[in-house]
Amino acid sequence: MSAASAAVAPAPSRLRLGPLVLIAPAAILLAVFLVIPYLNILLMSFRAPGQGTPYGEGFTIANYLRFFSDGFYIRQVANTLWIGFLCTAICLVVGFPVAWQLARGSPRFRAIGYGLVLSPLLVGIVIRSYGWTILLGNNGLINRTLTNIGLIEGPLPLMYNALGIVIALVHVFLPFMILPLMAAIQGVDPSLETAARSLGASRLTAFRRVTLPLCMPGIQAGCILVFVLSLSAYVTPSLIGGLRVKTMAVTVVDALIDTFQWPWGSALALILSVTGALIVVLFARLTRMKWKVART
Amino acid sequence: MTVVRIESLSKVYGAVRAVDRISVEIGDGEFISLLGPSGCGKTTTLKMIAGFEEASEGAIRFDGADVVRVPAEKRDIGMVFQNYALFPHMTVDQNLAFGLEMRRVPRAEMRSRIDRVLEMVQLSGFSGRYPSQLSGGQQQRVALARALVIEPRILLLDEPLANLDAKLREEMRVFIRDLQRRVGITTVYVTHDQAEAMTMSDRVVVMFGGRIAQVGAPADIYERPQNLDVARFVGQVNLVSGTVTSADGGTLAIDTAFGRAAAPARDGLYPGQAVTLSLRPEAIGLGAPGKAGAPGRVEARYYSGSLIDYRVALDGGETLHVQSFPTVAFAEGDRVSVHAPADRLWLIGAAQ
Repeated sequence: MSAASAAVAPAPSRLRLGPLVLIAPAAILLAVFLVIPYLNILLMSFRAPGQGTPYGEGFTIANYLRFFSDGFYIRQVANTLWIGFLCTAICLVVGFPVAWQLARGSPRFRAIGYGLVLSPLLVGIVIRSYGWTILLGNNGLINRTLTNIGLIEGPLPLMYNALGIVIALVHVFLPFMILPLMAAIQGVDPSLETAARSLGASRLTAFRRVTLPLCMPGIQAGCILVFVLSLSAYVTPSLIGGLRVKTMAVTVVDALIDTFQWPWGSALALILSVTGALIVVLFARLTRMKWKVART
Repeated sequence: MTVVRIESLSKVYGAVRAVDRISVEIGDGEFISLLGPSGCGKTTTLKMIAGFEEASEGAIRFDGADVVRVPAEKRDIGMVFQNYALFPHMTVDQNLAFGLEMRRVPRAEMRSRIDRVLEMVQLSGFSGRYPSQLSGGQQQRVALARALVIEPRILLLDEPLANLDAKLREEMRVFIRDLQRRVGITTVYVTHDQAEAMTMSDRVVVMFGGRIAQVGAPADIYERPQNLDVARFVGQVNLVSGTVTSADGGTLAIDTAFGRAAAPARDGLYPGQAVTLSLRPEAIGLGAPGKAGAPGRVEARYYSGSLIDYRVALDGGETLHVQSFPTVAFAEGDRVSVHAPADRLWLIGAAQ
């Protein structure tokens, strides 16, 4: 008994060590495989291009000048952000009703729905993207069927454009929107809507003024997840976008692997990351919830 | 203000009649409680009055007009919920303003109405706080203020004190009752706590199994319960057996261990029949052995400050719960004589 109580009452300094020990594995993993590589990329982006080597002598800001003086790349970033925005918006609009049903619907529906929602993640990314090329191509299932039943004359442009990329990305990123939304909706007490209605609000107003703002933490999390994942997606955009529509992730990989321009690719990668991060921070600020921070 | 008439109102779920043809009229400014165990249909009834449950049959009239088809948000009711249901993302002010905004009350009037109601619930300095920054009792008062600020026709309260600790609960009973008197609003209060129902209400509606067992003033319900369920549910009760000895001129004479009791004649009761009577613990007197009354022995004694509860075994075999003031003091094991005034022996019905 006395030995046990001695063990659970350690010196104050040992008490503070506990959390450190627990977060150490994650911290080390992040430091070694994220922070150090990022610093390396930062450094690399200021290197001069090399001749037959990954990079040349000395440091320069030429890579950044090249980016900002070429409308082509700026448009490509804009295009990538647009695709990210579309994916996020569509996932939110399509995912919300599903999340609602999962959170508030019958338990039986929840079990089935949960499986269906997670199902896109059960298929490997390459296979899934090839699957979409079979469906979306000019000679693909969708166009052939529509032509055969006489609904369209020629094939609809579903592939090698932003539309195809967005369709395929929404398909796989939906779970990342639905799960946080579901958790948020579950956290909202249904009696709050009842209370709003007792005060004279219609169902719609009760939803808009009470439930929706309270789901904001989930909306925020889901949107940030889907947006970031869309920006960094590589396999799906490269297979479905082909040579015609390139997202920044594809261009970065091209620069690094195909043309072996490490400094240029690093600069592009950093510009994409920083732009994405700025947008996320801005979004988080705009959707900041005062009531979440308020505590006595 | 508003008179509420409930006419053979029912709620049917499949084969279950959760509320079964209940009828009651609630007067203008009256405070009425729906009292009963969980599952008795009291909350369903309240929800039907509020419009959150659709009535299967019957009518609910506010000043004569049937509101069964009127959606909840158009019924002009104020409701207080068991878990308060305050909007966590709004300050106290914004919570109170919500109902006023729905009614398109002008800004200036909104301000003065909110201030007035906050003063009534003694929360004047709290308008900028979020619900998470308030104690349970304060949240409860905000919920009350939010329901009252819209000046509704009817105030509905669904077990509003169930989540408070005992001392606060007693304070809030008095607080709500005084506030209701001052505002003069027709009020329906749902509770399973009989003491709460009795201290607060003008009349109590006791419900069992979806039906009304008895409607009456608190004293009626307590002193003259119409059946065994009501007698048992409302307060503590001793059930005393008796035998009908005569039925003359509309009056029954009943012999009990405490002497002869009288009751108005009733169908189905005849001389020689065994009956059950109720006797409240505080109506029973204890005296020194040998005095008038039934002889017995104190089995157990529970002291609670203002009162002492005794368990007394009568020599005849019955066990009684007796409540007295501490001025009457007996020890465990003491012999006593137990007497009960004939007018507190209330006939419930034939013995079962």
